[in-house]
Parts: sequence; structure tokens; C-alpha cells
Amino acid sequence: MRRLAFVFVAWVGVATVPMAVPAAPQTVLPARPDSLKFAAIGDSGTGDRAQYDVGQRMATERMRFPFELVIMLGDNMYGRQQPEDFVTKFERPYAALLSAGVAFYASLGNHDNPRNVQYEGFHMGGERYYTFNRRNARFFVLDSNQMDPKQLAWIDDALKQSRDEWKICYFHHPLYSDGRRHGADVQLRVALEPLLVKYGVNLVFQGHDHIYERLTPQKGVVYFVSGSAGELRRGDVKPSAATAAYFDQDQSFMLVEIAGDELFYEAVSRTGQAVDSGVIRRRATRTTDGS
Amino acid sequence: MSTRAATKATISRHSHRAPTRHHVRTSARWLARYLLDRYLLLPLGAAIALVWANSAAESYFLFASKLSFVVNEIGMAFFFALATQEIVEAVMPGGALHTWRRWGLAVVAATGGIVGSVAVYLAYVTLSYEAVLTTAWPIACAIDVAAAYYLLKGIMPRSAALPFALVVGIATDAFGILVVAPRYPTLAIHASGAVLLLMAIGLAAMLRAIGVRAFWPYLSICGTISWLAFFRAGLHPAFALVPIVPFLPHEPRRLDLFADPPDDDAIHHFEHEWHALVQVILFFFGIVNGGVLLRGFDTGSVAMIAAALVGRPVGILAAVGLALLAGLHLPRHLGWRELVVVALATSSGFTIALFFATGVVAIGPVRAQVTIGALATGAGLLLALGAARLLRVGRFG
Repeated sequence: MRRLAFVFVAWVGVATVPMAVPAAPQTVLPARPDSLKFAAIGDSGTGDRAQYDVGQRMATERMRFPFELVIMLGDNMYGRQQPEDFVTKFERPYAALLSAGVAFYASLGNHDNPRNVQYEGFHMGGERYYTFNRRNARFFVLDSNQMDPKQLAWIDDALKQSRDEWKICYFHHPLYSDGRRHGADVQLRVALEPLLVKYGVNLVFQGHDHIYERLTPQKGVVYFVSGSAGELRRGDVKPSAATAAYFDQDQSFMLVEIAGDELFYEAVSRTGQAVDSGVIRRRATRTTDGS
Repeated sequence: MSTRAATKATISRHSHRAPTRHHVRTSARWLARYLLDRYLLLPLGAAIALVWANSAAESYFLFASKLSFVVNEIGMAFFFALATQEIVEAVMPGGALHTWRRWGLAVVAATGGIVGSVAVYLAYVTLSYEAVLTTAWPIACAIDVAAAYYLLKGIMPRSAALPFALVVGIATDAFGILVVAPRYPTLAIHASGAVLLLMAIGLAAMLRAIGVRAFWPYLSICGTISWLAFFRAGLHPAFALVPIVPFLPHEPRRLDLFADPPDDDAIHHFEHEWHALVQVILFFFGIVNGGVLLRGFDTGSVAMIAAALVGRPVGILAAVGLALLAGLHLPRHLGWRELVVVALATSSGFTIALFFATGVVAIGPVRAQVTIGALATGAGLLLALGAARLLRVGRFG
């Protein structure tokens, strides 16, 4: 009987080893007082329970990690977009953050009404594409719905002019993604990637696929997909060789900290679990002509 | 092997090769003629592009982006020049579309088709809350006139449906061109464009006045100035030859539209010489613009299909119905059954829709969605064929 019990325990032990769930990544955010701290949300504006939960979780996280701004990766509003919808799909879910003075900087997704560029809460200054900087980082916000020659010329010039240590781009449609529903927009990639590489963009935040994914650096640029701060497409990731980490089981958002030459990131689920985290070290600065 | 044996073997190989090579050459010539005559090079190019884009996307889009300007902005100018030439000659006295009596009801039908297709497109994207897609509405207007013409000619040759469908198509596309031309996504608009355009038109009028019958001075001098004018004025340069072609010497077109013209007079030299070249341009046009990732099928694709296959036929039939109530008459031998087939035959936007897509929407997901829709409107031709069988129209009667 003892032998049988031993064999049984051994079998259970052997069988459960491959099934063991890896420990959740520990938070790596140092939360230094002088660093730039921000959050990233994508595909958020559903106005349903999950969006409110994420908003609440962000407010909770802010107590330990006082981020000063939130970048919005598009689809900031789904469905009807009347004045009252800005309340139920934006102002109320993030009320705690807004009242604490956190500024939201939006990019346009396919579900956003182009007129939303006028909404003050999105800080777009009436423009489809724009740039702003905080400390040693500059953000370049693009409208990926239509990459017209004017926008391409603008981003070319804006990146060329930038002397900032960190160059961060964000827009809605992903240049790289392993989401099954949408995946990478290769035509957009062909148009945009050469500029990102030429001017040494450090990282790109994207949405559209309702998942979280971090990709291995592509031609020196780190890509994140964070499109599940409201919508979620459970089990949508089809990992490829380019997948570094992913999470597609619950809503999530990102926390990011830039301290000198290091960028710390953490993807946080709706329930507060850190589902991915790490640090990116800045590459050697390139000259403005891309050499 | 001895020298003699080697020579014998070589002769034997050659004697086998010669007829095979001849056979291959003849077959290739026949295939090329077949593809040219039936305007199949464009669908062939689009099919190649679709397969390429969905199997090696990066290399396809890289290739397409490099060729895009040459094909869309320069090459397509010759396509629209040829189309203008055909239309100008068809509406001249003695031409296939002469007399306004033939235009009246058809223009009403075209208006109905435009209203129907645009209304359905806008309603669909609005109800789907995807306002970014509204900019693509002019694409919903496009009719592939050549495809409709060939289909109807096959179903009911020598019917009044042919000129009726042609006018519907031409009027609709003319409206589309007027809307698309100024929406050309460009970097800057220069006022000098207007001056250049006036200069090009004035020069063409002068060449006509002094009796220049050769086509090349019109195209090489006036056409080049006009192209620069369009480009600088922020208008789609593919339409640059449209205001120049009417100044070319013309003769009424009694032959079939879209047929290879005779080469027996100076007037048709331009058309004859460019006919095959334009087909090759259309092949590359299909390759450059027909490649979309099929997983990009989304709201814009459905809206485009619904606009073309439902909105336009319903709009055409409703407009004709209202016109008849208002006192207009249907052309002889054209009843409601034939009208249904005509309405469905004009639902395909294909070539023109693909072109309009390049003119009004910049690269990105919006264009990808509507391009898939534009390609799928080709199904309208099958619907028309099915309707003709069902309603026993023309050769199915």
C-alpha cells in the first residue's frame, strides 16, 4: 500500500511539473521621484463594466506608482459618440485619475469619430497627429487610419527635429502583432517602419488587437500591443517567433517609467496581476539623419 | 559518341523543338489576344496581387509602393485619355450615344444609382459607428463600364440596354471623377496649377485651330503641361489628359465602344497605338492596387459591397420608376426585366472603384477595407447573369 501511495504521489508530481504556472512577474517599476511615469490604454471606450474595473485598477496602481499621464492607443470610444457618451465612456471610468490631474493624450482608432480630436479631455489640439514631450522623452502620436503623404512628411520632419533621448511613437493599428483577428498591418509597416528605424525610435505602442503582447525588437524597435483596456478577445494571440510575452485572458493596461537611459514597463491585468514586466535600455543615440 | 552521331542527335532535338516552339509562340499570341480583347489583364493582375499579398505581404507591399506613383499617377492618365476618347466620339453626331433623347432617362437612372449606393454606404458605416470610413464614399459611386458593357453585350446584343447602360456608367463615373479629382492626397497645393492648366487647354485649342491632326503634339506638349498643372493644383494627375483629349481631331464612333479601333486614319492612331499599352498599364494597375490582406475584410468592405450590389440597383430602379411616373418613357424594347439586369450589371465597380480608392483614401486600414469591397463588387456581374437567366432576358429568353 505504501509503495502504491509512493508511486501515486510520484506520478502526480511528474504530471504536474509541466503544468505548473510560472510565477507572475514581479513588479520592476522603481517609481523614482524624478522619473517620467505614464500609463498606456488601448481599445478602452466601451463604457461597460470591464472598462470601469480597469479605470479603478489604474487609480489603485497610481497610489504606488504616481503616473502623470495616460497615452490612449485608439478606439477611445465605441458606438455612439454624443456628449453624454464622453461622460459614460471616458470621464466616469477615469474620474479618479482625471480629478487627480492626470492628462490623457489620445490617438485615433477606427471606432473613434474624427471629430473627437476637438475634445479637450483627449489633448489632441484639434489634430489627427501631433507630438508632445515630457522630461527626456518625446511622444509622436499618429493617425494610422490613413497614412497620407502629409502625415508621412510630418512624422519624417518631426522625428528629424527631435533631440530627445527617448522617442516613443503610438497609434492604433499595429505594425507588428500576433493577434489572430487583425494581426500586423504590413502595408502600414512598409510605409512607416523605415522612418522609425532611420530616426532611432525606441519603442512603439499600438492597439487594435484586443490583447497584450510584447514583441522581440524588430530592427531595433520594441513594439507593444496593448488593446485590451476595455474590449478583450480572449485567446486571440497566436504566438510566433516574434512574440516575447503575451496575455489574452483578461483586460489589461500598461505602466511605464523612464529613468535616464532605462525604461521600465509593466503590463497589469484588471485584477492587478503583473502579467509582464521588464526593462529596456536606450540604444546609442543616432544622429538626426539616421546614420 | 562520334561526331556524326552527335550531329544527328542535335538535328533530332532541333526538329522536335521547332514545332514545339512554334506551338508555344502561337498559343502565347492567342492567349495574349484573348486577354487583351476581353479586358482580362486587369483581373489577372489583381488576382496575382491578391495571392502575392496574402502569401508574402512585405515583399508585395514594398513592390507595390515603389511602382504605385508610376502606375497610378502617370500610367492611368492614358487609361482615362482612352476612355475620354471613346466617350467624346460616341456622343458626336452619328456616334453610338448621340442625341440627348438617349441620355434623359439614363441620367436619371445614374442619379438614382449614385444616391442609392452612397446612401447605403453612409448608412452602413454610420450605423456601425465607424465614421473614419465615411471619407471613402465616392468609391461607392464607381461603375466598371467596360465590364458592364461586355456582359450586357453577351446577354442582349443590339439591345437598347447597351447605350442605356453606357450612359448610366459614364454619367456615374463622370460624377465620381469630379468628386475624386480634388480629393487627391497631396503634400501641397499651388495656385500656379490653374495657370498651367489654362495654358495646356489654350495650346490644345490652338493646335486644333491650326489643323494639327497628329496626336502626339497634343499629348506630349499639352498633356505634359496639363499633368504638371493637375499635380500642382492638388488634382489627381491621372485625369490630366481628360481636358486635352476633346481637342484631338475626332470622327463619330459607329463601332463598338471598347473595341480595338481601326488603324486606317490619323485620328485613330492614338487609340490604336495606346490600346494595347493601356491594357498592360491596367495589368500593372491590378498588381499595384489589387493586393490586400483578406483578413482586412471589415465594416468598410461590407459597406462597399452593400452599396454596389444593393444600393445602386435599387436606386436605379427607383429613379426609373419615378421618372416614368413623371412622364418619361423607357426606350423601345427595354422593359423592367431588362432594366433589372442592367441595374445589376452596373453594380460592379472593380477597375474604377480600385482607382477611386487610390484617389480618395491614403494607404492604411481604411483603404484596405474598401479595396476588398471594391474587388468583391465584381460579383455584381454574376448576379446580373443569374438575373438574366431567371428573368429570361436576351439570349436566355
